[in-house]
Amino acid sequence: MTDATLPTTRPGGLKRLVERYPFLPALVIALVLLALNGFYQPRSVSFIGITGLTKTYLALMMLAIAQTYVVYAGDIDLSAGAIVSLVNVVIVVMMEKMGGSGFSVVAALGLGLATGLACGIVNGVVVAALRLQAIVATFATSIFFTGLALYVMPVAGTPAPAAFWRTYGGRFFEIPFVFYAVVVLAIMLYVLARTRLSTQLLAVGDDAQAAFQSGLPVTRIRIQGYALCGLFAALAAFCVTGDTASGDPLVGGKMTLFSVAAVVLGGSALSGGYGTVIGSIIGALIIGLINSLVFFVGTPSEWQNLVQGLAILLALMAGILVGRRARA
Amino acid sequence: MRKFAALALTSVAALAVSAFSVQAESFKIGLSNGWVGSEWRTQMIEEAQAAAAAWKDKGVDVEVVVQSANVDVPGQIAHVRNFINEGVNAIIINPNSPTAFDPVFAQAKEAGILVISTDAEVSSPDALYVGIDQKAWGAAGAKWLAETLGGKGNVVAINGVAGHPANEMRVAGYKEVFGQYPDIKIVNEVNANWDQAQGQQAMQNLLATNPDITGVWVQDGMAAGAWKSIIDAGKQSSIAATGEIRKDFIDLWTKDKLNSGASVNPPGVMASALNVAVLMLQGKELKEPATAGQYKNAMYLPIPFIDGKNLADAAKAVDGKPGYYSYTSSLSIEDAEKLFK
Repeated sequence: MTDATLPTTRPGGLKRLVERYPFLPALVIALVLLALNGFYQPRSVSFIGITGLTKTYLALMMLAIAQTYVVYAGDIDLSAGAIVSLVNVVIVVMMEKMGGSGFSVVAALGLGLATGLACGIVNGVVVAALRLQAIVATFATSIFFTGLALYVMPVAGTPAPAAFWRTYGGRFFEIPFVFYAVVVLAIMLYVLARTRLSTQLLAVGDDAQAAFQSGLPVTRIRIQGYALCGLFAALAAFCVTGDTASGDPLVGGKMTLFSVAAVVLGGSALSGGYGTVIGSIIGALIIGLINSLVFFVGTPSEWQNLVQGLAILLALMAGILVGRRARA
Repeated sequence: MRKFAALALTSVAALAVSAFSVQAESFKIGLSNGWVGSEWRTQMIEEAQAAAAAWKDKGVDVEVVVQSANVDVPGQIAHVRNFINEGVNAIIINPNSPTAFDPVFAQAKEAGILVISTDAEVSSPDALYVGIDQKAWGAAGAKWLAETLGGKGNVVAINGVAGHPANEMRVAGYKEVFGQYPDIKIVNEVNANWDQAQGQQAMQNLLATNPDITGVWVQDGMAAGAWKSIIDAGKQSSIAATGEIRKDFIDLWTKDKLNSGASVNPPGVMASALNVAVLMLQGKELKEPATAGQYKNAMYLPIPFIDGKNLADAAKAVDGKPGYYSYTSSLSIEDAEKLFK
């Protein structure tokens, strides 16, 4: 602990590295998992295999990013998955109502972003301005958002226009669309990490009282964190829609806790003030790689859920052990 | 020289092995199940595995790889992608959504993989549905009930999950049949979410509010619950109700001589789909192309029906099995062959 407060003592090499890059343990775990996947099923790490992995888990990566921004400030969003469902049905219904042309797709995506943003602001106001406990308040709003999604589309199934999902699943200049999405995402995150908001969120999460006393508008910062979360949840919904090509009012529900798990796997602290977005993305990848590895090693079907859960626990423990040793 | 001989021998051996493997056809088939909440699904997979093993006698090696876990729709899409990576020849899926698999099935087809859905229809033009027609399933129970009641009486319906595609089709099925009998009145319809306890509760409420009902149309496991309420109320002699296909219920039905009839949605549907898949992989063509159903890609299997006439046979078929075992049927390899040219 003294190392953290007394920077004059020279920390060891590994220690310094993990302090500088908190996602390193996660990266190592992800690479090991990738190697294991490749060992048991060489095709899973081929170009097509990696493209498939990205297509499938881009949504979870987006949602993990969304979750990271509220976790930065020591908050949590249990409605993230419900926002995904709501945005999914809103854009699918919108595209269908407007006839599925290129313009309608763009308009629907705009409306989807606005929906995500609005949900995020509602969460922020409820948690930061009305001062309800984040975990319970966002659980309540998750039920509310799910109800809205069911109102917009009572039964799963309306198809999205082919133009939309063929873009998501397609290629430009021989490179799959999702890789462009990843590059744009990386640039966006790079810029976001350099904005004042990221630092402010971390400061609030580290010590809200101190942040308040040093003159930061704590309430507004937390609301902004939730708003950012809503926006990224909307992006996650775009990915889900691109991959499933249809509307489903319950599609995102199970993703919520996976997004929290991804954040923790990535080395961020749920208590706030410490973490990286990159780590959360790697955390989402770890979950995806575990899911496929469980299959590729030939786990009998009746044990697949159990082994999957155990593997996630192991990854959590490994990450925490390495991180703790490096930080202690 | 010795080296050369060794080399020659190994290459001959390799040739022989490859020639042998060409002769003994071998296929790899992926089975995906996205929900593990009932024994019916477990039985479905076990029967499909048994069906694959049965191809050995025909000189065909069918290897099945299974992914079965509680997953959401993106999770089941990951199942399909894993199968594509694994390089399977065919995928048989009990899908969690009717429409969400269009893109990934298109990718599977591009990779030269045959995709068959079973138990629930899918909208993808790149897949085939092999299973029962849920609407006809609902209609069969309703027809039995209407005939048993002599074409008149007050009927209630206990349905599954509102908005679920299979439930909606079954409801459409019984509505169509009851509509043909002007003297049969549907006095109430409730949802009990395919849950036995909720079915029992719903039946209790219905008996309390509608004491004059003579017929009950109820699905699957909820029927066991509903019948429990009917028996508790001492009304088993005045009420006819549809039943279900698990051994526990068939035993009760036999013992108490219930006035019941059950449409069978056999867990063997996946085994039937597997047999169809293998024949298609062998390059055989269907006599009649699969173009039925709302998505024009369905091949419907016959729906067995259990009533007083064949109850003893059904009881014999499940004799010695555990209580949760479902009465089943599936296309044998020979049955399936008859569907092909």
